[in-house]
This record gives sequence, C-alpha cells and structure tokens, in this order.
Amino acid sequence: MDESQLIAGIQEGDRKSFQILVEKYQGMVVNTCFSVVHNRADAEDISQDVFLEIYRNAASFRGESKISTWLYRIAMNRSLNFVRNKKRKGFFQTIEDTFKGGRNRNTEISENRSDQPDRNLTDQQRADLLHRAIDRLPEKQRTAFTLNKYEELPYLQIAEIMDISLASVETLIHRAKKNLQLQLYDCYQKKCV
Amino acid sequence: MKCKAKHIDLISYLDNELLGEKKSQLEKHLEECADCRGFLAFLKDEMKVIENEKNQELNPFYFTRLSAKIEQPIGFTPERSWIRLAQPAFFTLVLFLGIYGGIRVGSIVNTDRFAQPDSASIQLLNDFDSEPIESFLLSEL
Repeated sequence: MDESQLIAGIQEGDRKSFQILVEKYQGMVVNTCFSVVHNRADAEDISQDVFLEIYRNAASFRGESKISTWLYRIAMNRSLNFVRNKKRKGFFQTIEDTFKGGRNRNTEISENRSDQPDRNLTDQQRADLLHRAIDRLPEKQRTAFTLNKYEELPYLQIAEIMDISLASVETLIHRAKKNLQLQLYDCYQKKCV
Repeated sequence: MKCKAKHIDLISYLDNELLGEKKSQLEKHLEECADCRGFLAFLKDEMKVIENEKNQELNPFYFTRLSAKIEQPIGFTPERSWIRLAQPAFFTLVLFLGIYGGIRVGSIVNTDRFAQPDSASIQLLNDFDSEPIESFLLSEL
C-alpha cells in the first residue's frame, strides 16, 4: 500500500489502513517525541496523540508533502507544547502527582536505569547533562538540531518540516552546535561528570 | 582565545563536517593542546548518548492502547476530569480561607486603647470651663 492509498483508507475510516500507518511510523514518531521530552512514557503518550490527530484529521491532508513530514511536524509541535506546559504547570503538577501518587522525575530516572541495568551512573549523568544542554537551546535551534541528530534528517527535509529556508536550517544547526559546546565546555571545566 | 575558536569546530569535526584547511588546522591544534583533546573526548562521550537513545524499544501493546483511545469521545480524559474540578475548588477554598483569616486577625486586634478618652477625664485636664481666662486676667490686675 503506498502513501496515498493509506491516507485514502484512513479518510474512509478503514482501521486496517490506520494500523499499517501506525506500524510503519510508530518508531519514528516515538523517537522524535523522546528526543524532545527525554522520557519514554511521555514520549509514548504524545506519539499516541499524534496518531490520534492523524486519524481524526486525515481529511485535511492534501498530499502536498509526504506523510512523514506531516508526522514530524505534529510530533515536534506536540512535544514542544508538552515541555512548555510542563514548565508552566510546575506547581500544579506537584499537587497532581501528590493526589495521584503518581510519577515524578526521580522514579522515572530509576525506571530508566532499571530498564538498562548495564548503564552505569556516569552514563545516566552524561545523558542528563546532554538533555539539560539541549533543553536550554532556543526552540528553533533545538528543533533543527534534534531532527538532524536524532532522526538523521537531511537539511532539506528539516527545512520542509519547519517551513523555513535551507539557509535558515544551516544557521540554526550551526548556532545550536555552538551553544551546546559552550554549555558542555562549562561543564567539562567544572568536571560535572 | 585560540582554543575557544577551535572549540566551535569540535562538534562539526566529530560529525565529519569539517573539510580541507580547517580540518587540518584543527588536527594540528589538537596534537599540541591537551585541553582541547580532553574536551574532544568529553564531547565524543556526550554525543554517544544520542546514538544510544536513537532507537527506542517499541511497546507491543501500542496499537491496542491507541485503539482504546480512538473509541473514547473527543476531549474526554478520565484521569484529568476530576482535576479540572479540583483545581478551581482548591483555589476558591484558599481564597475564602485567606479572607476569613484576615477578618479573624482583624477582630483579634484590641482597638480599645485607640478609643477616645471619655469627656470626664478630659474635663479634669481642661479647666477652661471652671476657670475662664477673663477671671484669671482680672485677678492678675
């Protein structure tokens, strides 16, 4: 089934076409969300919202771009919105977690460690350091860098997803790398890891 | 200063994006500078984090969960529905408690000591009525 047939099937409400789409792009969408939110459970939840949006708004897809471009765009927007809302909700989130007896950052870190028992403490510290450095990048730099590094997308495709020029993508990635190395050098000098 | 300028190129060097003259200049600098070599190794280890995280394990029940979400009515999130009620109720309660607390604190403060002294005590201090100024002046004369 090619892309146009898949979309046509989803537009008609064919659940099988939707399942094929999900199985084809599940990994890509989850990875993209994870590269922004750095948490597996949240990445999975957000990726499911992405597919839900595709399912409910399939009629609005005009076929001018590839399905993958559409998916990347929705995944990045939802992930960045999630991060923004999380920052804004700081205090309320603490209350919610208290009532729900639910997840907090510390338990999630320990869950991630237990999933990868061979990953020692230094590796986790390294990962946390890099995530913090990426999180501090301006949004557009972060988007371009994440798509280039985690998804290994060419600059042209990133330009299409972000709806900017190729030159802008090059500038964003160059600045992102510069900012990252400044933050990492600061940590290197202070011997953070 | 020279090292700082080289640092900018290090991530690009790791990505094999540095070519020609710039690459050879950087490699020559790395042979001479232990700090930059150390930082390069540090960056290399950091970038490995991205390599390790690139392929997340897929949940085998992913589509089952997704199908369940499709069946739910739009906008319904059972986990969050009670929170939408609890949050405004909580803040209304805090507001009323604050107003009530303020009223209680205000009523506890004793305002009696700020009350005007009664006229009898003022009368003893103020002998104007009992001894008018005219009689005083006349007596002086």
